[in-house]
Amino acid sequence: MTEHASEWLNAYLDGELGGLRQRQVEQHLERCAACRAELEALRGLSALLRETPPAAEFTPTGRFVTNLMLSLPRHPDASQPRKAASLGWWLAPAGLLGAWFFLRTVLTLTGVFTAADATGLLKQANAWFTGGQPTGVFTAADATGLLKQANAWFTGGQPQAAWFVAITSLFGSQMSAAQQSTLSLFNQVSVFGGDLFSGFLWQAAIVLLYWVWLAAWWFRHAPRPMKIIF
Amino acid sequence: MLATLPEEIEANLIEMSRQGDRSAFGQLVSQYQRGVVNVVYRMCSDVTLAEDAAQEAFLRAWMHLDSFRPGTSLRNWLYRIAVNAALDHLRRERETPADLETVRVADQANGPEAELLQRERSARVQRAILSLSAPNRAVLVLREYCQLSYQEIAASLDIPIGTVMSRLNYARKCLRTLLENDL
Repeated sequence: MTEHASEWLNAYLDGELGGLRQRQVEQHLERCAACRAELEALRGLSALLRETPPAAEFTPTGRFVTNLMLSLPRHPDASQPRKAASLGWWLAPAGLLGAWFFLRTVLTLTGVFTAADATGLLKQANAWFTGGQPTGVFTAADATGLLKQANAWFTGGQPQAAWFVAITSLFGSQMSAAQQSTLSLFNQVSVFGGDLFSGFLWQAAIVLLYWVWLAAWWFRHAPRPMKIIF
Repeated sequence: MLATLPEEIEANLIEMSRQGDRSAFGQLVSQYQRGVVNVVYRMCSDVTLAEDAAQEAFLRAWMHLDSFRPGTSLRNWLYRIAVNAALDHLRRERETPADLETVRVADQANGPEAELLQRERSARVQRAILSLSAPNRAVLVLREYCQLSYQEIAASLDIPIGTVMSRLNYARKCLRTLLENDL
């Protein structure tokens, strides 16, 4: 420490020093009358500033509060634009979930029609649809285009993996019935695995998007320090 | 001066205000109005301007109650907003705060001598504060009238702690010279 502790006296007075620096200032003050006098002057200045009332008369508190209440705007939480924006934020994941359910429903129905085809039910449905008067669920399915796809599947056969199509077109005529049966089994496993992977990808994408949405929500609502800038 | 509100009651009033309860916010304003107006007045030395800025500070507080962190000091938060509002007002007024000659120093015809002396001293103190530059004045007001720590002042003004210390040292040095006869 230099000859005097002037540069640290303000911080010492305000209780902003600590540890070694505070002990050094205290030790210095014990032996330096000039710094003690300066500290007392600073203490006196602070007391003068704080204890001297303002040289002005202000509006009484009651009237100030009344005036303020009259000019108080609606609380931001109750304001329409913010409410609408907030509603939008809540609807975003709901909309996403709705889209996901729709797609899953389409895929599930497709699976049902495929299964129906396998058991021969769709043949009868197809006959009803193409030959007779469609009724009930088939009318609805037709309206959404699902039945057409199911019908196409019915006429086109089982779903086939690309590799299965390639192998059967190249070597199908040379294969025995047992080999074709084994290959068909592998094809079904491959198609099933592909569907499973596709389903997993969808759910992973939904989870990822939901996390992104949560992060964006947190960023919008995280409290920020208020700063005074010159 | 109103008695200080117990912490629990103040926390309840803040929560109710957040939900849009004007009456609860009115009670908080009643509690801190004098302090806030006083702080702003120390910054700009104009009663009308101080009350306008204080009103603006409370309006800002009302609008941004969501950004107030529970568990921290509402008083300090309001004072920081108030000083911010005062600086905005000063910027709009091109940093020309009121001439203290226009401040009513005392009703000399009717007031007792002691009151007159007190008012004259108040005017000298205010004139001395006003002679500081806005950045130095802001640091001094936040420390002396808001009792913020150096860390809080640094965060409020977005300046390093070292700058807070040097500005405060300089401001107090100037005031000691200007108010020598009152010390």
